[in-house]
Amino acid sequence: MPNRPLRRLRQPDLVGVSGPEYPNRIELGGRIVELGALRHTPAGLPVAEFRILHESVAIEAGLERKVNAEVDAIAFNAQARLIASSPLDSRLRVVGFLCAKSQRSRKLVLHVSKVEFIESSPSANADGQNLKGA
Amino acid sequence: MRVVVPFRRGKRVGVVMEVSTTSELPAARVKPIDDVKTDMAPLPAEWLSFMRFLATYYQRPLGETVIGALPPRLKLPRTLPPDAMRFYRRSAAAPPTDTLRAGRRRRLLEALADKACSREQVLACAGLTHDDAASAWRQLVNDAWVERCAPHSGTRFVAPHMPSPAQSAVTRELLASLGRFDPFLLHGITGSGKTEIYLHVIAEVLARGAQALVLVPEISLTPQLASRFEQAFPDTHMVLLHSGLPDGPRTAGWLAAARGEAGVVLGTRLAALAPMPRLGLIVVDEEHDPSFKQQDGMRYSGRDAVVYRAKLADCPVILGSATPSLETWFNASRGRYRLISLPERASPGARLPEVRTIDLKREPPEDGIAPSLLKAIQSRLERGEQSLIFINRRGYAPVLACEACGWSAGCTRCTAKMVLHTVGHKLRCHHCGAEDRIPPACPACGNPDLKAAGRGTQRVEETLAARFPQAHILRIDRDSARRREELSDTLEAIRSGHGDILVGTQLLAKGHDFPELTLVGVLNADGALLSTDYRAAERMFATLSQVAGRAGRRDWPGQVLVQTLYPEHSMFRALARHDYAGFANAQLAEREAAGFPPYVHEAVLRAEAPALDTAIRFLRAAVERFPPPAPVTLFDPVPYLMTRRAGYERARLLIQSSSRIVLQTYLSAWFLPLTEMAPRDLRWHLDVDPIEFD
Repeated sequence: MPNRPLRRLRQPDLVGVSGPEYPNRIELGGRIVELGALRHTPAGLPVAEFRILHESVAIEAGLERKVNAEVDAIAFNAQARLIASSPLDSRLRVVGFLCAKSQRSRKLVLHVSKVEFIESSPSANADGQNLKGA
Repeated sequence: MRVVVPFRRGKRVGVVMEVSTTSELPAARVKPIDDVKTDMAPLPAEWLSFMRFLATYYQRPLGETVIGALPPRLKLPRTLPPDAMRFYRRSAAAPPTDTLRAGRRRRLLEALADKACSREQVLACAGLTHDDAASAWRQLVNDAWVERCAPHSGTRFVAPHMPSPAQSAVTRELLASLGRFDPFLLHGITGSGKTEIYLHVIAEVLARGAQALVLVPEISLTPQLASRFEQAFPDTHMVLLHSGLPDGPRTAGWLAAARGEAGVVLGTRLAALAPMPRLGLIVVDEEHDPSFKQQDGMRYSGRDAVVYRAKLADCPVILGSATPSLETWFNASRGRYRLISLPERASPGARLPEVRTIDLKREPPEDGIAPSLLKAIQSRLERGEQSLIFINRRGYAPVLACEACGWSAGCTRCTAKMVLHTVGHKLRCHHCGAEDRIPPACPACGNPDLKAAGRGTQRVEETLAARFPQAHILRIDRDSARRREELSDTLEAIRSGHGDILVGTQLLAKGHDFPELTLVGVLNADGALLSTDYRAAERMFATLSQVAGRAGRRDWPGQVLVQTLYPEHSMFRALARHDYAGFANAQLAEREAAGFPPYVHEAVLRAEAPALDTAIRFLRAAVERFPPPAPVTLFDPVPYLMTRRAGYERARLLIQSSSRIVLQTYLSAWFLPLTEMAPRDLRWHLDVDPIEFD
C-alpha cells in the first residue's frame, strides 16, 4: 500500500516512559456497531470514526466469564476508506494503539493501524486491498 | 510651480511655496534651481495653504506633504508630454451596440455613449481594467468606431427622477448656502436618496461655473456610481481619482482638476488632495467610513481635511451618511455642523426592513447557523427570492488546531493565527499575507486529525451547500473577487436575480441595490461587543445598518435576522428600532464618561522594531525627553495586543488632551527631538486623531 513515509516530529519532546519497553499495542476483534461518514482532515486525509463491539469468553480468576467491550476507534487513510465502505455489523480484527480522545478528555480511543475483515471462514489477510466487497 | 532642484548627487522635484529675497542659510549653501517646469498651471494659493495646514496638523514635513499629494508622474523630474488627457467619443461609423455580440467591445462602446470621455471613464463605466480592455480598445480605434474629440465643457443636467418633496426641500436648503463656508451633516437612512440630492446640488454648482469634489469610500466607487454621474452630467468633464488608476490617467485627471477644467472630481480620499481652483462644493458620502483615513505616510483623514478645505475655498461641505461617525454627530449636536435629516426612504411605499435578533442560547446553532435562520432561508428559496448571509470573516476557519496537544497554527511573523483556506488549500496570515501549506499532521505532537475551529465565508458556503443542495450559492469576499472587475460582474449578476443565497463579507454591505433580496442573516456580530476597541460597536452598528439596508429596497418588505448570544444588548435594540440617534447619543454618553474622543483629542506615537524592548525604550525616552504641559496626558507605553506583525514588535504611546491647540503645539515641539532619538532599527510615526488601535 502506498503509505506516506514516516515523518519525524519537529520537536521530539517525548519524555519519561517511551520506547519498546513500554508497549501500547492493542489487538481487538469484534463487529462495527457505529460508523460515522467518511470525513477529511483539513489537509485532505480521510478519517473514519467508528465503534467496535467485542464479545467473547475469557478465563479470569480461574473461571470462564463473559467479556463485553465497546471501544471507540478511529482510522486514517486507506484503513479509513476500508472501514467507511464496509456495512454496519461487519466483523473485523484490528491492531492499533490507545490514545486520549483530546487534551481535555481522558476517554480513550483505539487508533487503528491494521484492519482485517473476518468472513465466515476466518481467513487471515494483512491489510486488506482485496478484502473490500468480500 | 513645479521645479527641479539638485539634491545630494541627484535631482528631485520641488514645489515653490513662496519666494524670498533673503535666506537664513549662508549664501554658499543656497543652491540654484535647475529647471522650472511649465508643463502645468501654477498651483493655486488656496491649495498651498491647504498643504501647510495638513503638514502642521498631521505633523509631517511640508515637503513630504506636498510631494506626497502630487500624482505619480509629477513626482518625476521629467517634463510631461503635452496633451496628457485624451478624449474619445463614439464615431458615426460605429454600429448600434445592440447589433454587436456581447463582449468587451460592446461594453466599451456602450460605456462611451455619445459623449466625450477619457479612456479611464470608459473603462470605469464598463467595469474593465486596462489590461483586459487593451485589445478590444485597439480594435475599436482601428475600425474607427471611436474617435478623438475635444472635452465637453457643458453643464447640462439630466435629473434621474423627479425628486421627492423631502429631497427637494433638502436640496433647497443646501443650495441656499452655496458660495460660503457651511458644513452640513446629511443624515439620511439607507435608500433615502442622498446621491440624488448631491446630483441636484452639483448641477447648480456647475451652472455657476464652479467645480464639485465628491469623495466616496474605496469600496463604493463602483462603475454604477460613475455612470450615474456620467448620465446626470452628460456634457461635463468628469475626473475619477483613485489609487487603482494607472499613473498616466491619474496624473492627467489631477491636472484637469488643477486647471479647473474638470467640473466634477469623483474619487477616494486621495482626491481630497487634488487642487481645484474653482472649488464650489465638497461632498463626502458615507462619511463615517474608516477608509477616509490614510493608514501610512501622512495619516490624514480625507473627511476632516476637506472640512478645512471648504473653509479655505469658502464653499459648503456636505457630510452624508445613514450612520454618521460619532465625531461628526457630536459636531452636529454642538451646532458646528448643520444637521439635515432624511428619515424616510425615497421611493414611495418602500419600508425599512424588520430587524430581529436570534438568541443563540435558546436556539443552539447547527454548524453555526440557527434553525430559525435556516427556516427563513428555506422560505425565501421557495418563493424564489434571494437571501444574504453576512459574516465578516473570509477563509474557511480562523484557527487550525490540534485537540490532542493544544497546538494551533500561528504566523511566524505576527502574533496571530493563520487562517485556514480550503479554496487553494493554504494557511494564510491575514495580517502579513504569509502563506503556508496545511500540515498533514500536528507539527508538535504528530496527530493527523487537526480540526478547523470557528467559521468564515468558505465554511458557511459549504454548510449551506450541504443543507440546500438545490440552491445556487454565491460567495463574495476578497478571495472570490480579487479584481474590481470580477466583483462588479458578480454584483451585476446578483442584481439581475442571479444566485439564491449570497454569502459575503462587507464587500456586499455597501451601496449595492439588489431588488430580489428580502432576507439578510448576520453571523458573528458579537465580536464587536467584546472588543477592546471602543469604536468597535460604532462600526458594527454602521456595518449592520448598511447590510440591513440591502433587504427589501423596492416593494418587498425585507427581514434581517441577527444571531447573537446577547439579544438584550442596547446596540441590537437600537438596530431593531432603526434608531441611530438613540444609539449614537448613548455611545456619546459612554465616551464622555470614559474620557474618549470626541470629548478629548488624541494622538498616538507608534514604534516598531525587531525587538519589543527597543520600541518600549524609545517610547519611554520620548516621554522623559519632553514632559507634556498640564492639559496634555501621556499614557504609559504599551505593547500592542497583537505585538508582532510582519516580523516587527510593536508598541504605542497614547497622548490625550482636552485642548486641540495645546496638543498641536506640544506635538510640533516634540516631533524634531523624536527624529534625532530614534535608533536605526526602529520605525516610528505620529498619528493624529487615530482611529485604529489593533
